[in-house]
Amino acid sequence: MSKKVLIVDDDPEFVETSEIILRAHGYETLSANNGDEAFKILKSEIPDIILLDIMMKTKGEGLWVSEKLKADKNFRGIPILMITAVNQDADMSKFHIDPSIDQEYLPVDGFLQKPIEPDELVQEIERIIGDKVS
Amino acid sequence: MKAKKCEVKDSECHLERIRRWHSDLESNISSLIDVLKEIKESSKVATIECSDYYSKTVELTQAKTTFTFEISHELKAPIASVYNILNVIIDGYLEGNREKQIDLLKRARVRIRGIVKLLDDLLLLSQLVEGTKKIKMTAIDIEDILTPLIDRMEEYARENNISLSWNLANNAPPIFGQLELLEMVFSNIISNGIKYSNPGGIVEVEAKREDSYIIFLVRDHGIGIKREEIPKIFDVFFRGKYARGDTREGMGLGLSLVKKIIDAHHGIINIKSKFNKGTTVTIRLPEYKKGRKNV
Repeated sequence: MSKKVLIVDDDPEFVETSEIILRAHGYETLSANNGDEAFKILKSEIPDIILLDIMMKTKGEGLWVSEKLKADKNFRGIPILMITAVNQDADMSKFHIDPSIDQEYLPVDGFLQKPIEPDELVQEIERIIGDKVS
Repeated sequence: MKAKKCEVKDSECHLERIRRWHSDLESNISSLIDVLKEIKESSKVATIECSDYYSKTVELTQAKTTFTFEISHELKAPIASVYNILNVIIDGYLEGNREKQIDLLKRARVRIRGIVKLLDDLLLLSQLVEGTKKIKMTAIDIEDILTPLIDRMEEYARENNISLSWNLANNAPPIFGQLELLEMVFSNIISNGIKYSNPGGIVEVEAKREDSYIIFLVRDHGIGIKREEIPKIFDVFFRGKYARGDTREGMGLGLSLVKKIIDAHHGIINIKSKFNKGTTVTIRLPEYKKGRKNV
């Protein structure tokens, strides 16, 4: 059975191109424009991984969503791949988090910085989920 | 004055001299205390001033860091999307699906146009902030500013199921300004009114003369702005939490640019808003008087 990826990002082109790439690699995709939409989807669908943009309409929304997910026993097992548009260090220091020190405490399983090469996206998801789909 | 000499055995005279010295000393000490008090006061003022300057410097440094961060994000996000679009097409993910390829390329074009517009706006903003923007002021009639916008705004309003009402004073005297910059201001304010109205709503645009000013009002009955957000609305990149719409259309530079343009025209912009009731933007621009020169 194909694995399910939930993409949470307010950038419609990023969402659509990521869906095209992931479907071509055998994944099923779901998408949400923001954290609230993501939680609505999670009421009926449990994905195998969540791609989560850190900066949506509200700054740092991705962090809020990831913390809320990890605090919920129903969702804490879903791996999160955080997507950043600027760079990981800049994004994190903006929220007073130093990835070199605090990474193990961050409520995510991986980071990718935009722009993301298609292969890089697929490989990182495979690394986190732990097995190949197609 | 030279002190009087005393005879060696004239104790009264010596006592008198001592009394005078003592009195002089007391008065000197008292003056010294006054001077010290003044120094203390001015050092207190200087300390407060230093502390204010320090806070302002810290604030400005933070604002600069935030600005760099925001601008990097605002530019990198669309560039990354265009890059993704090119990747999926070049890497053959959409082979045989020409329709989708064209659709994505058109969207890439819109994103690139957004990036160029943002860069143009940033350049203009920085020139206005630095005061290096040469504004070519001429006498402009209200119709010169608003008439070219009517068709474009009516179309945008129709697309969003909003109606527009125009109430422009006849025979109002011209204002003094640069047409392209003022067009930018009103295009921004009116399109914001449309964007943040609820479907079926109305946006009223009014221009009237009051004293030696021309007053422009743009009133919508839409989502409004929360009270705590109003002081921030002219900040670069600020967007209200409830501001809807496509991030590509409103990158938040609009109102800060509008404010700077109005300032450069010696005008005043005022925003009144109630959350979920609507927003009224009032712009006062001085009317043209003969003999005025460029600023």
